[in-house]
Amino acid sequence: MTKQTLPNTKPIMGRIIQKWEECEDTFGFLIDVPVKVKGAKPGQFIMLWVPGVDEYPIGIAGFENNVLEIGVSKMGEGTEAMINKNEGDLVGIRGFYGKPFQPPSKVNHLIIGGGFGMTPLKLLTTTLMQREEKEKIHIFEGARSKNRLMYLDWFQTLHDHKKLNFHVCTDDGSYGYKGFPTVALEDFLQKSETPSVIYVAGPERMMKVIFDIGKKYEKVIDMQMSFADRYMRCGFGLCSYCAVDPTGWRICVDGPIFNVKQIEQIEDFGNYRRIETGEKQRI
Amino acid sequence: MELETTVGSIKLRNPLILSSGILGTSYSTLQRIYEAGMGAVVTKSIGPRARKGNPNPSIFALQEIKSVINSVGLANPGYKVFREDIEKLIEKKIPTIVSIFGENEREFVEVLEGLKDLQILAFELNLSCPNIEKGGMQIGTDPESVSTIVRKIKSTTITPVWVKLTPNVNNIIDVADAAVKGGCDALVAINTLKAMVIDIETQLPILGYKRGGLSGAAIKPIGVRYVYDLYENFGEKVPIVGVGGISRGEDIIEYLLAGAKAVQIGTALGVAYPENMIRFFQMRVKKYMKEHSIEKISELIGGAHK
Repeated sequence: MTKQTLPNTKPIMGRIIQKWEECEDTFGFLIDVPVKVKGAKPGQFIMLWVPGVDEYPIGIAGFENNVLEIGVSKMGEGTEAMINKNEGDLVGIRGFYGKPFQPPSKVNHLIIGGGFGMTPLKLLTTTLMQREEKEKIHIFEGARSKNRLMYLDWFQTLHDHKKLNFHVCTDDGSYGYKGFPTVALEDFLQKSETPSVIYVAGPERMMKVIFDIGKKYEKVIDMQMSFADRYMRCGFGLCSYCAVDPTGWRICVDGPIFNVKQIEQIEDFGNYRRIETGEKQRI
Repeated sequence: MELETTVGSIKLRNPLILSSGILGTSYSTLQRIYEAGMGAVVTKSIGPRARKGNPNPSIFALQEIKSVINSVGLANPGYKVFREDIEKLIEKKIPTIVSIFGENEREFVEVLEGLKDLQILAFELNLSCPNIEKGGMQIGTDPESVSTIVRKIKSTTITPVWVKLTPNVNNIIDVADAAVKGGCDALVAINTLKAMVIDIETQLPILGYKRGGLSGAAIKPIGVRYVYDLYENFGEKVPIVGVGGISRGEDIIEYLLAGAKAVQIGTALGVAYPENMIRFFQMRVKKYMKEHSIEKISELIGGAHK
């Protein structure tokens, strides 16, 4: 095994050793990374190269014994090409990039996500459960219907074993609460007394709604949100196609996780995102 | 200790300029880099209309040679949209050089006409991008086209015009000479070198565009050589801005000694903490000046031509 430290290499080719259908239009992958890599921290991402097709940022769901877990949802040509890959196929990995979630201690951890935003939140959950200090972990997951919930069995099992509280929501009521996870979150905040930290990854519109809810409660001492769902080219701070105004922060290295004080300074948050041309587009 | 330098009529607080294509997509990143201590900044190359550029992968690092390969292909929002960012920079009194490109003379003039009323420090003509099919290097390798475009642009604006040269030519002096005859105010050398990386496992080129341009430490000796050649040929007649692979303060000194009045730094600032890099560059330059009893940085320019 070659010793190499990522980042700042060309894509390292890893072999897909397991692939499974996580939920509708979303697949989980285990990829064997053939170089020694330092552990991934929750919230970090990789640039995934699907050879000959595309390269894009993907959240890390797990990393153990040099095996990387990711989840990919069908969003376009690049993600579809990944979904068509099979066990034994090679894909390129650059990373691990970005600043991670930084959970403090002695708080309630409120983890909220939707879609494949759940990917980095899975690693965050794993990390929190491994901490010596056992704090309450609450997961709020939302999807259109039951068949689109990521890691449903994983979270449900942990809930049943009282490792965490799983507040699962579907728009159509096919599983858990009927309604948005933002409503379940606000219900919870109204009843809870303990200081809480909110962690979010998912569509930016949803993040904005959660941000506005969190701001209303003093017991919410911080909010940490992932901006990784944005267009990127380099992933290591060079091109600035992911930069936000007016701070000039690059999502890839100054983020992708920003805390509440930082998010307040990002005027683009919930309003604009950059596209391939560098131009800003309304969210 | 005096770090101030001049490039033609332009005075800079120090010779460090952010090069085009790095951290130049928004006014906010450019402002951040200027405030960290650069002498000026160059925007991402701006063309007549929005351009998506080439598919990803379009930038990655080659750790073994401390370099970066890219094939971004001039992705930009077009001058009508980017004008707002330039206005913000000027409002904040940030010395801003705007890099422009076009597929032909008409397009260059269109971009220039759309921006020439702004208090831009200089226009830098990108006649050297290797990652597009039309324009860019295709123009920049043909002396006749270079001189025609530069002349036309000089007749359109009173703002200084810099020409960024490609190293991908047989004789850079021919092209530089054409730019000087066209009336350019400074020569900027060099843009990226034509390059490529193939993944030997999948046996495919890695870049989405297959081919790309190399920047970073590996190209520094090449940049220094071109600057040296240009200075030898033009001397004080036309100022030279040195660019290519600067990754340490010592590299800046080297470019100045080769004949550059100022330098541009790009790839080395594509890191998590560019502010620290800029501070480090300045520290090393000052240390060198102190050790060599140099009062004014201008004393170094062309010093290697003995």
